Amino acid sequence: LGDIIVGSVKEAIPKGKVKKGKVVYGVVVRAAMQKGRVDGSQVKFDDNAIVVVGIKEKKKKKPEENKKNKVEFNQPTGTRVFGPVPHEMRNKKQLKILALAQHMV
Amino acid sequence: MRLVKCWFCSSTIYPGHGIQFVRNDAKIFRFCRSKCHKNFKMKRNPRKVKWTKAFRAAHGKDMTKDKTFEFEKKRNRPERYDRNVTENTLKAIKKIDKIRSTREAKHIENRLKPNKQKKFNEDKKELNNQIDLVRAPGVSEKVKVVVPKIKSVQNEAMEE
Repeated sequence: LGDIIVGSVKEAIPKGKVKKGKVVYGVVVRAAMQKGRVDGSQVKFDDNAIVVVGIKEKKKKKPEENKKNKVEFNQPTGTRVFGPVPHEMRNKKQLKILALAQHMV
Repeated sequence: MRLVKCWFCSSTIYPGHGIQFVRNDAKIFRFCRSKCHKNFKMKRNPRKVKWTKAFRAAHGKDMTKDKTFEFEKKRNRPERYDRNVTENTLKAIKKIDKIRSTREAKHIENRLKPNKQKKFNEDKKELNNQIDLVRAPGVSEKVKVVVPKIKSVQNEAMEE
């Protein structure tokens, strides 16, 4: 929960920002496996869900520019997030997701 | 830290116990142990599962309406710490607990009381009407058997 993962889009709505087949980065917001909280309790959700945070672009490597780009994935690509979102986002600095969320757990 | 109630059996969940399940409609179900959790996954209705508090309340087995329950309401505003208040609250908790448990016991006793008398009457009736199940009628009564005097008649015949 709160970690960034890489995935590929299998299904997309026709006029979305992400197209089918794109490789995307996402923040895990819900996991069906229980996660331990600091107070000792365990939380689990009904499904596995991520919020798309960045789209991987194909870059042409220029051999001279050997900069290491540390990309910060803080801004969700979309404008809405569906379903409940856990507190763990706060620790992972995903405050925008928390702001857009309808319910916080 | 907050003590919550198990969604299935209504027992209190202490910190560090149980699992919290969040459904996609953001409804939170808390379970005290895997027994309750597994029953929930089986889609059982707690109002029909006999050992839960929900069943007992729905079927009038346990006390539901009492003033002592009002002390245990969920309060969302945190109280400002006051030593006296805390001390008094702790004392009150013990007292209220005692009162509540005696009242609950009384409730169960009252529920079972008319049944006792009924049972006694039924037993009495059974004893009176169906005593033949215990011993057969007329068996132990002593019956007099008359033995005929044959000898004396024979003697008289021979004499003649």
